[in-house]
Amino acid sequence: MSVVVEGARKEFRARRGARVMALDGVDLEAKPGELLVIVGPSGSGKSTLLRVIAGLEPLDAGRVLIDDRDVTGVPAGRRDVALVFQEAALFPHLGVAANIGIGERARGTRRRDVESRVREVARVLDIEPLLTRMPTELSGGERQRVALARAMIRSPRVCLLDEPLASVDTELRLRMRGEIRAVQRSLGVPMVHVTHDQVEAMAMGDRVAVMAQGRVLQCDIPAEVYARPATTAVARTFGPLPMNLLPAVDGVVTGVRPERVRVNRSGAGRAGTVAAVEPAGEECLVRVDDVLARVPMADAPHPGEQVVVTWRPEDEHHFDAETGARR
Amino acid sequence: MRRWPLAAPYLAGSALLVLVPLGLAAALAFTDYFGFRAPEFTGADNLTRLAADGTFWDAVGISAFVAAVVVPLRLLLAVGAALLLARRRGARTAVGRAAAYLPSVIPDAAWALLWLWILNPLYGPLPALLGVLGVPDPGFLTTPWGARLGLVLVMTFQVGEAFVVALAARLAIPARLHEAIEVEGGSPWFAMTRVTLPLMAPIVLVLAVRDMVVVVQNAFVPTLLVTDGGPANATLTAPLLIYRRAFEYGELGYASTLSVTLLVLTGIAAALPLWLAARLAAHQRART
Amino acid sequence: MIVLSAVFLAPLAVMVLGSLQRPLQPPPNGLDLWPDPVEWTNFATVPRFMPLGRLLLNSLLLVVVAVPVTVVVTSMAGLAIVTARGVLRRWLLGVSVLMLLVPAAALWVPRVVLLRGAGLADTPFTVALLALAGTTPFYVLLFALAYSRIPSALLEAATLEGLSPFAVWRRIALPLVRPAAVAVAALSGLYYWSTFMDPLTLVSSPGNWPVALGLRNLSEMEAALYPIYLAAAVLVTAPALLAFGIAQRSFFSSVERS
Repeated sequence: MSVVVEGARKEFRARRGARVMALDGVDLEAKPGELLVIVGPSGSGKSTLLRVIAGLEPLDAGRVLIDDRDVTGVPAGRRDVALVFQEAALFPHLGVAANIGIGERARGTRRRDVESRVREVARVLDIEPLLTRMPTELSGGERQRVALARAMIRSPRVCLLDEPLASVDTELRLRMRGEIRAVQRSLGVPMVHVTHDQVEAMAMGDRVAVMAQGRVLQCDIPAEVYARPATTAVARTFGPLPMNLLPAVDGVVTGVRPERVRVNRSGAGRAGTVAAVEPAGEECLVRVDDVLARVPMADAPHPGEQVVVTWRPEDEHHFDAETGARR
Repeated sequence: MRRWPLAAPYLAGSALLVLVPLGLAAALAFTDYFGFRAPEFTGADNLTRLAADGTFWDAVGISAFVAAVVVPLRLLLAVGAALLLARRRGARTAVGRAAAYLPSVIPDAAWALLWLWILNPLYGPLPALLGVLGVPDPGFLTTPWGARLGLVLVMTFQVGEAFVVALAARLAIPARLHEAIEVEGGSPWFAMTRVTLPLMAPIVLVLAVRDMVVVVQNAFVPTLLVTDGGPANATLTAPLLIYRRAFEYGELGYASTLSVTLLVLTGIAAALPLWLAARLAAHQRART
Repeated sequence: MIVLSAVFLAPLAVMVLGSLQRPLQPPPNGLDLWPDPVEWTNFATVPRFMPLGRLLLNSLLLVVVAVPVTVVVTSMAGLAIVTARGVLRRWLLGVSVLMLLVPAAALWVPRVVLLRGAGLADTPFTVALLALAGTTPFYVLLFALAYSRIPSALLEAATLEGLSPFAVWRRIALPLVRPAAVAVAALSGLYYWSTFMDPLTLVSSPGNWPVALGLRNLSEMEAALYPIYLAAAVLVTAPALLAFGIAQRSFFSSVERS
């Protein structure tokens, strides 16, 4: 079971006649049993891509294949796709059990059969006590679990998630990342997960696709995207901190990750003044002129101090100043 | 911020033009008053007269009949139009929405004159149309049930206010709820009956109650201008009777008794659907 | 959708067609709606049956006075509903719902008694008094719906800047809900242009009537004269249609979610 998107183009007409390229020639593949994370800033087209795969949005050009079958013209309801919406999209007038079972009811399954399926799924996700509640009585995490249950109940060919953890608090988010992975493994289907959270993308994805302005800039395993970003845009957006990009010299932009920058009181390197120091637990973020560095708290300089920043040559990344592409 | 200064004109105006008059009506209901001499307290005399007033209870029955037939028709039209016209923006939607509101733009009196012609047995296009189609003419202005049918027709189209409220309620449902049904393969019928209508139900209910009041009241204009309460009092509705008592016979005291009675009956009729809805909501909650 | 539009548009079309037919003809055989020849003179004949100029002027004055008052009263009350808490909010909603449920017939007699007592009955402006109560609570709720889409932080910030409730209303809130204001202005304009029941009971001198009430006497005309009374109906309807045509876009956009 796999999902393939080929040459997808989609243009939106915004108000006052302006046109926005939501998808500008996107090629993408989610392999069988794979969790593909699409990451990008808001407006990058990642949610549109998800809606295109689900069949909620028609394409201007290009194809969508699910299990090697062209489903481009197939309506959403016949694609056998499950979609977990941002903010869960639970039906406020229905109880939790009815919310989980509504897909089965929509497809005409008898009520008694639906009830037993609902209990089964609820047991797997450990939400049995919630079944008699109303959506308004649930916390953000509980709502997302119910939404996951609604997606799981049908054993879909593909599972799509649209920022499912955006409204869940930090502690629960860590736990639910694991739960989503577990659900995905038990279903054994490709899962496409859209998020703007870089950390979430790195932590969860078998592979990540970095999107910006309607294009996929890079698609690879997270470690590879982190170690060898394909463009300056990926370097700036992907990772726990944006990469430092130094002014171009002879048409080459040099980049270095803040995690690899060392701040010394003296010695060789770029001399500069400490502009700001931001404590972050064991470590702190230090800005020296235009270079950001992450250093242990014990080594933290003071604002205004004269320091020298250095890094190893092998930690440097080089990009074309013109195109932004990796050299 | 202190909010009451903003609400003051509205509350004062409502008090002067609604609450105080209601109180006054309640007081006048127990008097004989003809406008030129001070009201004379008569105790329960008006109530005794009311109880035996067959014409009034017939009129209440006709009002109730008209409301019972017309309100469901109007809601069907208003909610149906709102559902059809809730889709995307576009020129056709805009024209449709304007068209649905249009009959409500026509002044009631002009609307009544229009139907005075449409229903006319000799010159009216509707009897003529029925003749062409081979349908027997019910005698819209000449027989009791024909006149009531005519009244129903006059009352059915002007649903602008209800249409707009239903449209707002429909547009307030988040699109992703319908998308969720779409992805799950639910039919449009399933989406409408299990999602759209249940979510609109509370508003539709308020509309039903409000529309009942509007229909009972607004039937006044066509009954005055088109049927004049006839033939043989077949369309003599409660407001028309109150109007005649008060302004043609000048019995302001007894007319107040009738007004307050109508108000109380309306209140009871309004409470019924609200009670029903509360029961329904409780039932819905327990279902899978 | 097209069928639906046709159902709603048909009565208006029939009214216009009827107003263009020749009066005082023998009853037609079968259905013949198309006027042949077109009789424009029906419109010129209308003033012979009702004092059209005087009544149009009365209606115009009524609209000019009542509409601004309605907009001011309802837009303030709507803001109060959205921002108020507790008792005041409950009162405002309670009064609004009550007014929606009171049949006007229950208020005819006491209003006449009160206004006659105050010497305010029987003037062209008597009906405009209803604007003090917002004309109908529907408009208050329309404004409340529009205001509820303004981020509350915006109004709170204005209050923290030291603006009075009136200044918040006038300078911040009202300019942000212009479509709703246009909609209420148009709807209340239509209301006062069409008003029939209120002047019928409150205004006894025919010289002070608004134009819609002037149509009343035409209902007693010969059936054969129907093109004349339909022409009068068209004349009274036309300004209302014009106002609706201008305002309908803002009206529907004030209903739509942003």
